[in-house]
Amino acid sequence: MAFPTIVGPSSGTGSGVFPTLVFVQGNEQRVINLDHSPFGVGRKVDKDLVIADPRVSRDHALIVSENGVFSVVDQGSKHGTFVNGERVERKTLERNDRLEFGVREVAYVIFNPQHGTTNSAREFLSQISGMHISDETTDLEKLVLFLEAARKLNTIGVLDEILMTLLDVTLKLTRAERAYVYMKNPRGELRLAAGRNAKGEPLLDDKTISHSILEDALKSNSEFVLTDTSRSADLTGRKSIVAYDLRTVICVPLRKPQVQATRDADAPAGAVSAEVMGALYVDSRFASRDISGVSNDILHAIATEAASLIENARLVQAEEAGRRYQQELSIAASIQQRLMAVTIPEVPFAKLAGRNLSCKEIGGDFFDAVNTNEGLTIVLADVSGKGVSAALLASTLQGMIYSQLTAGMPLTEIVTAVNRFFTDKNIGEKYATVIIARVQHDGNVEYVNCGHILPLVVSNGEIERPSFGNLPVGLLPDAKYKSDNCQLKPGDRLILVTDGVTEAENARGEFFEDSRLEQAAKTGTLEQIFTAISSFCGGTPLNDDCTVVELLYTG
Amino acid sequence: MSLKIDTRQAEGVTIISPQGRIVFGEEAAALRENLKRTLASTRQVVLNLSGVSYIDSGGLGTLVGVYSSARAAGADIKLTGLGQRLRDVLQITKLATVFEVYDSEQEAIATFHRGAA
Repeated sequence: MAFPTIVGPSSGTGSGVFPTLVFVQGNEQRVINLDHSPFGVGRKVDKDLVIADPRVSRDHALIVSENGVFSVVDQGSKHGTFVNGERVERKTLERNDRLEFGVREVAYVIFNPQHGTTNSAREFLSQISGMHISDETTDLEKLVLFLEAARKLNTIGVLDEILMTLLDVTLKLTRAERAYVYMKNPRGELRLAAGRNAKGEPLLDDKTISHSILEDALKSNSEFVLTDTSRSADLTGRKSIVAYDLRTVICVPLRKPQVQATRDADAPAGAVSAEVMGALYVDSRFASRDISGVSNDILHAIATEAASLIENARLVQAEEAGRRYQQELSIAASIQQRLMAVTIPEVPFAKLAGRNLSCKEIGGDFFDAVNTNEGLTIVLADVSGKGVSAALLASTLQGMIYSQLTAGMPLTEIVTAVNRFFTDKNIGEKYATVIIARVQHDGNVEYVNCGHILPLVVSNGEIERPSFGNLPVGLLPDAKYKSDNCQLKPGDRLILVTDGVTEAENARGEFFEDSRLEQAAKTGTLEQIFTAISSFCGGTPLNDDCTVVELLYTG
Repeated sequence: MSLKIDTRQAEGVTIISPQGRIVFGEEAAALRENLKRTLASTRQVVLNLSGVSYIDSGGLGTLVGVYSSARAAGADIKLTGLGQRLRDVLQITKLATVFEVYDSEQEAIATFHRGAA
C-alpha cells in the first residue's frame, strides 16, 4: 500500500517543507527529516528512528501526520512515551516539544517544525533569485520553480551543488530512502556523480543498488522505470534485490534535452529517443518506505526537467572552466611580467634601460641584467613561438642563465650548457635566440650571440653592427659557441633588440626592418625607438613581443 | 591559414613548394605534417621556398626540426628559392651552415642524382 503524501504543515508554525526531529543521544545530535508518516520509533532495526537501548520497546511509538498536524502515538511500550516529561498515550506535538521513549535523559527527541529543515532547494532558490515561495505551493510546483530558476542561473556553475539539490528535491518528492545520479563520462561509461540519502547524508558507495535495473532503464525507451519488487516475482532472481532487500526502485534516464521539445509537457515521442547522458536512480529498501505510490506527474517532471537542468549546469561549468583557464593565463602573464621586471643594477660606468612591449598573447622574450666582479652582464632572449609554452621555457632559460652568471661562469660555457639542457630535454621545435653581453668598466664588451638580431653600437651618430654569431640554443645538440669582443667609448650606446622590433608590421604588410631600427637608434633614446615603432605600425597590432635594451657607457 | 603547399615529382625527387607565410601555429604545423608524410615514402626532397614571403622564429624551428629528423632517418631535404630575407635570417642564426642551400631547383635535384651515381 501507499502511504499518503505528507503535505508540509500549511499552518503558520512551519516554514519548511517538512518538519524535523532533532535526536540527541549522549554527545551526539542528529537531524531527521520527518518526511513521511507514520514515522516509527523503536529498538527494531527497520524503524525510522532506531534507539538501541533495552528500555526502548521494539515497536515503541509512531509519529503520525494528519492534515499537517503531528502527533506522537505510544504503541503500548513497556517504559512509556513522554512529552515534556509527561507520560502520554497520544499527544499533538508543538514546536520544541521534548519527546522521550522509555529511556529518560540519555536519549531524547526535540520536535521542531520551524528550524533545521534541510530545505536547501528552497533556500537556494530564495538566495539566488529573491523569489518568494508561498507555503501553499505544492512540492511539484516548487520543483518546477526550482528547476526554472536553476536553468536561468549563470553565476553558480557548480554542477555538484546542482546535483545534490536535485537529489534532495527528488528524495523529498518521492519519499524514497536513497537517490543517486549517474553521468556518462567521455568514454560513455556510467559513473556515480552524487548520492544522497533521506537524512541528507552523502552516499559515496553504490554497491548496494540494483545495477541491473539501472542498465535496463537506460536501454529502455521509457521516460522512467518504476519497479516494485514485491509485485514482480521475476525480479527475485536479481542478486542485489535479494541481497539488499530493495523494495521499490525508480530509474529515470536523463536524456540530452532537445531544443524546446522537453519543455513541453506533451513532448513528442521523438524527444524520448534523444541521447542518454545519465540516470537518476531512487530506491527504498524497507517495507515502511513504499514509494511505488509516487505520482506519475512528479516522475514526469523529474524526468523532463532534470536532464535540461544538468545539461545547463554542465554548460555553465564549461564556461567556468574556460574562465578559469583565462585566469590561469593571466596569472602566467603576470608572472612573466614580474620576471621581465628587472631590477637594473647601478654601476658607475654605465646606465642601463630596458623596455618590453607585449603583444596580446604572452610571449617568450626576456631580459635580465646582473652585476658581478666580471662586469655588468645584459641578457636578452627570445624563445620561439608564443603562449604559455614559450613563457615557461623563457622562465627556465632565464633561471639557468641568471644562476650561471652569478656563479661567474664564462659566457660561452653558459650558452653551451643551456643548449645541452634544451636539446637533451628534447622539447620539440622550441629554441631560443640569446644574446649575452658583458660590459666592463673600461668599456670592453664581450658578447656571445646565439642566432639573435645583431646588436647595435651607436658611436658619434654612426651605427655599427658587431656581427659575430652562433647557432640558436636548443636546436642542435653539438653546436659550438664562441664569443667576440668590441670596444665602447664614453657616450657610446649598445642597443639590443628582439625580432619583434624588426618584424613589427604595418597595415601594408611591411616590416620595421633593420634600416628603420638603425635610423631610430642613431638619434633616438629608448622611448623614441618605441615611438618610431608605434608610428610605423599605425593601428596594426603587434604579432610578437618587442623588447629593447639600451646601455649608455659613461666611462 | 596563410599557407598553401604544392607537391610534385621531378626526376624521382619530390618537390615541395609552400606558398605564403610559414609562421608559428597552424601554418608551421601544416608544413611539418606535409613533410612528415612525404618523408614516409621518399628520401629525396627539395623544399622550394620561392613562394614563401615570410618565416618567423616558430616556422624556422619547424624547418630545423623536420630537417634534423629527416637526416636522422637517412633522408635529405635540400633548400632552394630562398629570398634575401630568409638568407639573412639563416645567416644571423648560422643555420646556413646546417641546411644544404642551392640557388636553383635544378641544381638541388642534380645533387641527388650525383649522390646516387
